Amino acid sequence: MNLRESLRISWRSIRGHKLRSTLTTLGVIIGVASVITFMILGGAFTEDILGDVESENAPVMQVQTQTSPEAGTGIMIVDSPIYTESDVAAIEGMDDVEYVAPIGELPAVQLSNGTESVTGGFTTVATNGVRFADSDLYDLQAGETFSAADEAVVNNQTTQLFDANLSVGDEISLSFEDGSTKTFTVSGIVDEDITGQPVQPAVYTPLEPHYNTTIETPDGEQERAYPSLEVGATSLDTVDGVQENVLAYFENDADARQLKTDGDTIQVQTLDDVVDQVSGIIDQLTVFIGGIAAISLVVGSIGIANIMIVSVTERTREIGIMKAVGARKRDIVQLFLVESVILGAIGAVFGVLLGIGIGYLAVSMLDWPMIYPLDWIAIAVAVGVGVGVVSGFYPAWRAAKIDPIEALRRE
Amino acid sequence: MSIARSSDETGASPVVSATDVRRTYHLGEPVHALDGVSLSLPRGSFTAVMGPSGSGKSTLMNLLGALDTPDGGAVEIDGQSLTDLSESEQARLRGTKIGFVFQTFNLMPRLTAAENVTLPMVFHDTVDEGRRERARTLLERVGLGDRLDHDPSELSGGQRQRVAIARALANEPALLLADEPTGNLDTETGDEIMDLFHELNDAGRTILMVTHERQIAEHADRIVHLVDGKIDEIESVDGDGR
Ligand SMILES: Nc1ncnc2c1ncn2[C@@H]1O[C@H](COP(=O)(O)OP(=O)(O)O)[C@@H](O)[C@H]1O
Ligand SMILES: [Mg+2]
Repeated sequence: MNLRESLRISWRSIRGHKLRSTLTTLGVIIGVASVITFMILGGAFTEDILGDVESENAPVMQVQTQTSPEAGTGIMIVDSPIYTESDVAAIEGMDDVEYVAPIGELPAVQLSNGTESVTGGFTTVATNGVRFADSDLYDLQAGETFSAADEAVVNNQTTQLFDANLSVGDEISLSFEDGSTKTFTVSGIVDEDITGQPVQPAVYTPLEPHYNTTIETPDGEQERAYPSLEVGATSLDTVDGVQENVLAYFENDADARQLKTDGDTIQVQTLDDVVDQVSGIIDQLTVFIGGIAAISLVVGSIGIANIMIVSVTERTREIGIMKAVGARKRDIVQLFLVESVILGAIGAVFGVLLGIGIGYLAVSMLDWPMIYPLDWIAIAVAVGVGVGVVSGFYPAWRAAKIDPIEALRRE
Repeated sequence: MSIARSSDETGASPVVSATDVRRTYHLGEPVHALDGVSLSLPRGSFTAVMGPSGSGKSTLMNLLGALDTPDGGAVEIDGQSLTDLSESEQARLRGTKIGFVFQTFNLMPRLTAAENVTLPMVFHDTVDEGRRERARTLLERVGLGDRLDHDPSELSGGQRQRVAIARALANEPALLLADEPTGNLDTETGDEIMDLFHELNDAGRTILMVTHERQIAEHADRIVHLVDGKIDEIESVDGDGR
């Protein structure tokens, strides 16, 4: 029997049992729809977080220390100051390096502007002015980078800490853990909203004379040292080369290599790496949740098999008739398989449509960009058809085995 | 009437012949539904099978139509021995050489009259374009040229049986097997169906018909009497039962 003919006959049978066919496909529809919805949500979330970063990619990398905690899993960033002035100078001397900005945290506890003050909830970082002057990554929205010891750059989030938003030229003062207080003039305001993630209020001061943490180098000298560095390359074309050189330096020559605790690792991550890492984590999460959703496909598949078995029993007599007029076993198998594949395919198609619909609604409510996970749509349709084949096999085989005489004797 | 003949006396080159066939059902006590039956159907003959309920009439028909396989003995259809054939070859043979007509019509409920008639052609992979035309011709021949696209549920019993007969003729079978074809019809409609059988037989079609009504059986050339799975006598019918 040719395929077109079995399509026609199977389709007739599906339409002959509209309610039952609808209920049968419902399992597949729900399974496929939930997979597609989660894939849209995951993709949209990634796009929302990283879409901007990818468009604003900059040749910047972060050098920091990682440790694996003895108990538990995961990784932690270590903030012990192991990157020395010598390391900074060495990297500055490399080809294609635009700037090296040490990142040194200052122990400020209170930030004041006039009579208003804020305690905690902000970070104070000593760094150098080139970080804001030369970087492609940070936009100075107003003013310029600091050029004197009593000037500071603040980020957008800091300006909003005060009723009258801070602006260039305003006075702020920082109180430190040791009780001392220093006063700065805001020289510039920086926009740090690049990764789409929440940014903490921050105040950036010059290193001199505020940052004084030192460490004893392997040569026995006291040198200033920082818990992390930011390295800017000259362009996106050179950033990978610079990353390699910096990594090689830390593996072979650096003071930091000897100063770090055994087992810790020095990590050099470009913005690209961060993007990859974040999207990798979201992808994993999405696939994990999608996988759970896919379990409902198994349920859908059992549903089809179940209904098909009922349908075979109900149609025993019809099967007998078909055998009496010359149907072979394989014709019967073909008919029932085609029927369950049609059910699976219909379920998959409607499931994809429903999933896109729900995904679209959810994404627009969350204000995320809509994405169409074409790969997952293709997978879902294939799985739907596959579910049809798998769940149709056993019932079809049972149908083919039916003894025509028995079948025709039934009333 | 009442001239007993031995079954091997029938003419040469029979359409179907059964030699000493046995069929035993094992449901607790073995039931010998057929207990050594030999019968051949000459080409163009019209044979009726009569006997009390449970005497093995349907079993015999199923064996002659390759729907069932005997436990002993041999069945040949158009010179082809069934024992040599695989299951799918038997299905093929059933579709091409045999046309079944049943007491309960056995139409596919969700297919139209024309689609029911094309069904044996579908399983036989007849060329697509010819099918519908052939179904029309066959339905016209049984007097249902205006009912092509009706569902079985929209047809009367007699009309359904006519569709079933048209379907049985779809692949130009060598043998038409009818199991109580008038059993579910009133006398008048039953007579119409018998007239149709006569026309088909006159046109050269070989027919075997099971019935337990004497009056219906007398439409045939001869009547095979079955009792307890054995042929009791084969009776020639004089003249025309019409
Ligand atoms: N599938 C079966 N299983 C068990 N016994 C059967 C089966 N088919 C027929 N029989 C038995 O075989 C005998 C002949 O049956 P059948 O050929 O249907 O008789 P008839 O058609 O003459 O009424 C009966 O006793 C019946 O009960
Ligand atoms: Mg019977």
